[in-house]
Amino acid sequence: MLLLEHDAKELVRSRGIPVPAGIFVDSAFVDDMQLEGVGSWVVKAQVRAGGRGKAGGVGFAASTHEVADFIRAHANTSIKGQAVAGFRVERKIAFMREVYLSFLVDPVQRGIRVLLSAQGGMDVEEHAQQQDAMLTTIAAPDEVSLVAAASALLPRLPSELHQPLAAAIASLAAAFIAFDATLLEVNPLFVLADGTWIAGDMKLALDENSLLRQPELERVIRSRPEVYREANFKLDHDFDYVEIDRNGQIGLLTTGAGLSMMLIDEMLQADRRPFNFCDVRTGLLRGSPTRLIEVLKQFTQGPNISVVLVNIFAGITDLGEFAQLLLQALDAVPEITVPIVARLIGNNFEAAKTLIEQTGRPITVEMDLDQALKLAIAQAGVSA
Amino acid sequence: MSTFQLDAQAKVIVQGATGRMGRRHAELMKQYGTNIVGGIAGASARRDDSGIPLFDNCHDAMAATDAQVTITLVPPMDVLAAVTEALDAGIKLIVSPSEGMPVRDALMACGRAREHGATWIGPSTPGLAIPNRMKLGFIPDVSLSPGPLGVMSKSGTLSYEVCFRLTRRGIGQSAWIGVGGDPVKGLRFAELLPYFQNDTNTRAVLVLGEIGGSEEEELAAEMARLSFSKPVFVLLAGASAPEGVTMGHAGALVQGGRGTILSKTAALQAAGAHVFTSIESLVHGVVSSDV
Repeated sequence: MLLLEHDAKELVRSRGIPVPAGIFVDSAFVDDMQLEGVGSWVVKAQVRAGGRGKAGGVGFAASTHEVADFIRAHANTSIKGQAVAGFRVERKIAFMREVYLSFLVDPVQRGIRVLLSAQGGMDVEEHAQQQDAMLTTIAAPDEVSLVAAASALLPRLPSELHQPLAAAIASLAAAFIAFDATLLEVNPLFVLADGTWIAGDMKLALDENSLLRQPELERVIRSRPEVYREANFKLDHDFDYVEIDRNGQIGLLTTGAGLSMMLIDEMLQADRRPFNFCDVRTGLLRGSPTRLIEVLKQFTQGPNISVVLVNIFAGITDLGEFAQLLLQALDAVPEITVPIVARLIGNNFEAAKTLIEQTGRPITVEMDLDQALKLAIAQAGVSA
Repeated sequence: MSTFQLDAQAKVIVQGATGRMGRRHAELMKQYGTNIVGGIAGASARRDDSGIPLFDNCHDAMAATDAQVTITLVPPMDVLAAVTEALDAGIKLIVSPSEGMPVRDALMACGRAREHGATWIGPSTPGLAIPNRMKLGFIPDVSLSPGPLGVMSKSGTLSYEVCFRLTRRGIGQSAWIGVGGDPVKGLRFAELLPYFQNDTNTRAVLVLGEIGGSEEEELAAEMARLSFSKPVFVLLAGASAPEGVTMGHAGALVQGGRGTILSKTAALQAAGAHVFTSIESLVHGVVSSDV
C-alpha cells in the first residue's frame, strides 16, 4: 500500500535517511500552524498518488502567510480523484542537482528493479525516453545484492554524483529491505553543493502481507483511519472490503476476490451501480456471523442501496450453517430491510433454502448466479 | 525454473498436515484420488487418527516415501521456510495455497526454486487438479470434470464459477492450475503455456485473468513465440476497478495507466485469443466453439 509522502518521510527519517524538515498541517487547523524561523517553504498537498506537482498540488511560499493561503486554496480539493488529506510544509532546499532513484519489486524478473537517472525532477518520464537516460538493473531481494547492483550503475554517471549517490543507495536499500517495501522512489533526490544528499520527494509503498513483522506499518495505518481506510478495515476484521460508490444501488455480500470483481463488472455493464467490493471468505467464518454483520453495517451507510446480492460458492462450507449465520446477521442489523437475493451453491442447498424461506423475510434464494444477478439488477434503482 | 510437469500418480506429501486446514484438506485430497504418501508435523502435533504417515520434516518424509510433490498448508509467514525445507529435501513440485505471504518471501522462494531446478506454484492459489485423478488444494469437486480445457487462473472463485457452468454444459478440463492472485508468484501464465501446447489431452486453453501486472501481456507474447495452435479463451475481471484501488487480490491493481483491461485485451486479441468480459459470454463462446 502506498503511503502519504509525509508518512513515508517520517518513517524513513527514523532510520536516519535525510529528508527536509517538515510538518503535517490539517487544513482545519491552518490558523494554529506554527512554522519555525523565516525563509522559503514548500507546501505539498498529501494524496496517495504521483504527479502532484503537475496537478497543481505543490506550491512555494515565502512566508507563513503565503503557506496558509496555499493551504486554504487547496483544502477540500481532490487530486487524481483523491481527496487531499492534508499538507506537508517543508523547508525549501538549495540543491545542486536533481537525481532520480527508485527500487521496486519486479514480478516478471522476480527481483528488485533499480532505476537511476542523473536527471530527476518533474519531467523524469520524458527524460527517460531518451536513450540511456534511465539506467536500470535487477537485484536479488536482499540488502547486500541491492546495494551492489545499484552501485554498479554509478560509473555511468558524472563523477560528482558518485559519493552522494553511493551514500543514498546504501541508506535507501537498507530501508527498502527493512520495511518490506514494494516501491521506494526518490524523485527528486537532491544532491547538494557540499556533496551530501536529501530526499526531495518520496513515494513509498509497503507490503501489507508483512504487517505481522512490521509494527511500524500498523502504527501508520492506525494513525489515519480515513486515508488508509481499507487497510484499517482489514486490520480490524481480517477480510477485504472496499466501498466503491457511496451512492451505489447494490450491496455485495460475496466471497472470492476474482468473482466479486467480475460481478461488479457485470453490474456496471448493465448500468447498475454497485456499492462495494468484498471478500468475506466463508471458509473462515468459523461458526460466527461477525463478518456478515460487519458488511451489513457498512450497507447502512449507503442511502441508495435498494437490494443486497449474496453470493456464496461453497466448496466445503455447509450452506445450512451459512443460512443460519446470515439470518443471525440480519437480526443483528435490523436497518437492512431491502430485498435480498441470495445465490447459494454447495452442500445442503435445500436445507438452507427452506430455513431462509420459513422466516418470511424478503429473501429470494437462487442457485443460478446469472439468474440471481438478473434479479438484483432488476431490483437496483427501485426505491427502497 | 524447471519446465512444469504434472503426473497424476505422483507421490504427494502434505506440509502442515495436522493443522485445522491441513487435516481437512489432506483427507479431501486423498478421497479425490491424490496419492498422498505422508505428512509433516511437529512431534507435539502428532495424532494417531491422521490417516497418513507423519514425519518430522521433508528430509525424513523423502527418505521414507520418495515423494515428488508437496503442498504447504502452513500460515503465510511460514511458507518460505516450508518451501525451503522441501527444496532442500529434493522435491521438485511445490504448491503453496496460503494467502498473505509477504512479497519479499515470495521473491526469495522464486529464487530458491530456480536454484534447485524446481517448480513452485503460488502463493494465494486454490491449487491444481487433473479431474477425477488428483487434486492438490481446494478446487471444489462440483466444478471439476474431465474434458478438453487446459485451465489457468489467477482467481479461485471465478474459476470455480466458470468451470462449474462449463461442466454443467458438458465441457470439462484436461488440467486446472491456479497460479494465484498475488503479483509475485512461482509460476506465471506464460510459463504454463508450453505444458498445454504439449499436452495431448488439452484441446483448448481457458485463461481467467485480471487487471493489473503484465501476465496477460506476457501470455500473448508467448502465444506468438510458440505459434500456439490451440484456441485460447480469456475472461478478464476488474474492467471497472478504479485506478490505484486494490480489490482483494494484491496483484489486481492498475497503476500509472499500466495493467489496464484495454492493454490486455489488445495484446491477447492480437495473438489470436478470444477475450470476454462477462462469465456468460465466455461460457457461450466456449460452448459454441468446436473444442
